[in-house]
Amino acid sequence: MTDIQNGGAARELISFRVGAQEFCVDIMAVREIRGWTAATALPQSPDYVRGVINLRGAVLPIVDLASRLGFASAETTARHVIIVAQIGAQQVGLLVDAVSDILTVTDAMVQPTPEVASDSAKAFIRGLIALDGRMISLIGLDHVLPDLELEAA
Amino acid sequence: MDPLAAIRDTFFQECEEQLAELETGLLAMEAGATDSETINAVFRAVHSVKGGAGAFSLDDLVRFAHGFETVLDEVRAGRLEPTADALKVMLRAADVLADLVRAARDGGGFVETETSAAELRALLGGEAGDDDAGAEEDWGDFAFTPLGVADAAEAPTAGRWRIALRPRADLYAKANETALLLRELKRLGEIEVTLETSGLPPLADLDPEAAYLAWTILLTTERERAAIAEVFDFVDGDCDLTIEQDGADPLADAFADEPPAPEAAADLDIAALIAKAQAAAEPVEAEPRSAPAPEASRARAQEPAASSAASPTIRVDLERVDRLIDLVGELVINQAMLSQRVLEAGIARASGVAMGLDELEQLTREIQDSVMAIRAQPVKSVFQRMPRLAREVAALTGKQVRLVTEGEGTEVDKTVIERLTDPLTHMIRNAIDHGLEGPEAREAAGKPAEGVVRLSAAHRSGRIVIEVADDGAGINRERVKAIAAERGLIAPDAVLSDEETDNLIFMAGFSTASEVSDISGRGVGMDVVRRSIQALGGRISIASRPGKGSTFTMSLPLTLAVLDGMVVTVAGQTLVAPLTAIVETLQPKACDVHSLGGDARVIAVRDSYVPLIDVGQALGYRATPLDAATGVALLIESEGGARAALLADDIQGQRQVVIKSLEANYRQVPGVAAATILGDGRVALILDIDTIVAVSRGADLARSERRMATAAG
Repeated sequence: MTDIQNGGAARELISFRVGAQEFCVDIMAVREIRGWTAATALPQSPDYVRGVINLRGAVLPIVDLASRLGFASAETTARHVIIVAQIGAQQVGLLVDAVSDILTVTDAMVQPTPEVASDSAKAFIRGLIALDGRMISLIGLDHVLPDLELEAA
Repeated sequence: MDPLAAIRDTFFQECEEQLAELETGLLAMEAGATDSETINAVFRAVHSVKGGAGAFSLDDLVRFAHGFETVLDEVRAGRLEPTADALKVMLRAADVLADLVRAARDGGGFVETETSAAELRALLGGEAGDDDAGAEEDWGDFAFTPLGVADAAEAPTAGRWRIALRPRADLYAKANETALLLRELKRLGEIEVTLETSGLPPLADLDPEAAYLAWTILLTTERERAAIAEVFDFVDGDCDLTIEQDGADPLADAFADEPPAPEAAADLDIAALIAKAQAAAEPVEAEPRSAPAPEASRARAQEPAASSAASPTIRVDLERVDRLIDLVGELVINQAMLSQRVLEAGIARASGVAMGLDELEQLTREIQDSVMAIRAQPVKSVFQRMPRLAREVAALTGKQVRLVTEGEGTEVDKTVIERLTDPLTHMIRNAIDHGLEGPEAREAAGKPAEGVVRLSAAHRSGRIVIEVADDGAGINRERVKAIAAERGLIAPDAVLSDEETDNLIFMAGFSTASEVSDISGRGVGMDVVRRSIQALGGRISIASRPGKGSTFTMSLPLTLAVLDGMVVTVAGQTLVAPLTAIVETLQPKACDVHSLGGDARVIAVRDSYVPLIDVGQALGYRATPLDAATGVALLIESEGGARAALLADDIQGQRQVVIKSLEANYRQVPGVAAATILGDGRVALILDIDTIVAVSRGADLARSERRMATAAG
């Protein structure tokens, strides 16, 4: 846990690793964290949708976050973790390498994303947090699932 | 939801039930049942609607129901003979009453009641004028005779009134509500309400249908006694009521100081009162009776005899039932997983564990069946809408129709029932409009002038079969062929069997009515009916005999929550194909499969060629087509009736699967209808056969284009 510095209301984030990068999402969006289980592949779906798994009777789509954010997608092992997140009315499983920490940050600690060319950075990264020399990107989950974009691709 | 809206909802729900009861009763009377029980049931239904409507100030409804009730009362008293004509009037009145209820519920517009009201008055014959005047007086002028009250002088200025109200069980039985009375009183001025619970027995002795509570209301109002009395107009005679002027006498003050009195009159907690009143009223509402009001103690003694007639029911939120169904689905999957694990562990079949598991399996099956039965409802709720429709269509077409329904008690899933209304409505209309001949034509053909449309339901091998049969002229095959040829649906010189000809009416763009009639025209034909039946996983067929009539037979699954499927393996994936679409399975021989260029292949099935679709390729699971000889082909019939063969690697077996939505957390996937969870806990996709057939036709094109692009680049 980190000390709360001045400025803004504190909120809690869950940070996790994807490849060599560290990311975080708002803890309020996270429903549960579970181990990797093999997914059933979905036809006609983008590469970053790994398929669907059975989450206590509900059919849960799994998004490979590495692939979604534009990194190389690694071979999944039993050590991978699925973060079950609530996005609007839907629940989605996010495939990440490992969950690392729970952070308490204030709005003042979140720096705006610098202008970069990457589309995925623009689409997902809501801000950057510098913490103990590490850079943690705050991710917005709104566009994680494919919507109409797929038809265009 | 605020309590009042909830009560209102309940009222309308009960209205629907009462209206159904009314119609059933009237139809039974029409069929000759004139026993007092049936007549009483009919009377009670109208009376309950009236009583409830009064509480909600639905004046039009009350007025009409009152007129209707007066007629029924005459019938009940034996002063009016329920002749066939009289019953027709009453059935029309029941329709108007239903319209009024719906208009009140949905805030709909004006309902024409005068014709029917006049008909009802006419039934009362010579006394009509008097009787009607009496009715008007009853409802228009609220003359009130206070019960057991000292004749106090009317106070023209602001006065304090003490109202003692002790409802009898009958008050609740007639669907009145104490809370609503209190609310009405509050409109008159400031009130202080004291609930007297001293009459309430211990729970063990409590008779749910008896009335134990009493209220004392102190009302400060400028209104006259008549205005107060008006509030109790509907419960007149069903409660002990005293209304006294309460001068500034010490009694009132002492009363107001009593601890249980509400702290401030203005802050009257209506919600709490309603909750209290409901607690007393609800069990009674479930089973209205019109027996003369007995004392509470005597009511208890009569209880068993009275309640044994109707089986007790409860209202449950559909969401809760669906949650239970989901959980039981989980249980079934879990049980299957457990069995598989035990089998894998190599435990002997005769061991205690394996035997216990067998018992568990049986139990889970039973639980699943029972839970599914909760959602199942008799088709009665759809069927009972049809007599009215038949009457209306008959009146419009000038035909004479008798609608006979059979198997109303046949149960099927609620969702199926809901989605059955439209196709059934359409089919009944068709049967009367197109199927039956006019009275003259019928008599000329030596048939009774009155045509019969038979609507029946029955369970047959795990499905529900619904038939709509008419005894009309049957399908005019020459005309059907001529029209089909004219619309370009068939070649003019096509040779068709009788069955094939009959089935032409299911084709899109076909309508046999030479002109668009008001009733079944509008360009929507049997193809729409067929499509909605197929959307429910059902099939529809027709059998027709010239001069004898036509029979439409629909076969539907009992539930939409589970599906009978063929579990197949395709490119390492487990998929489920709906069994309803599968005609047969084939073991393709290399010599039966022919290439049509590209990846397009056909397979010879008994001298006809049908397209062979590689499911793995169609879904993009593999790029190169499977060698047909190594796989299994499922011969399927798609929605339009077109045949195709789906090529899979292997068949695992036939299984009933629980349907899970993909859209809930993801979105629709082309070629996939839904998902399910198999015994190993993994998700398997259910194929959407029609899309696969359609996509594969277009996909051939896409693939060849892609290949050309790669070759060029």
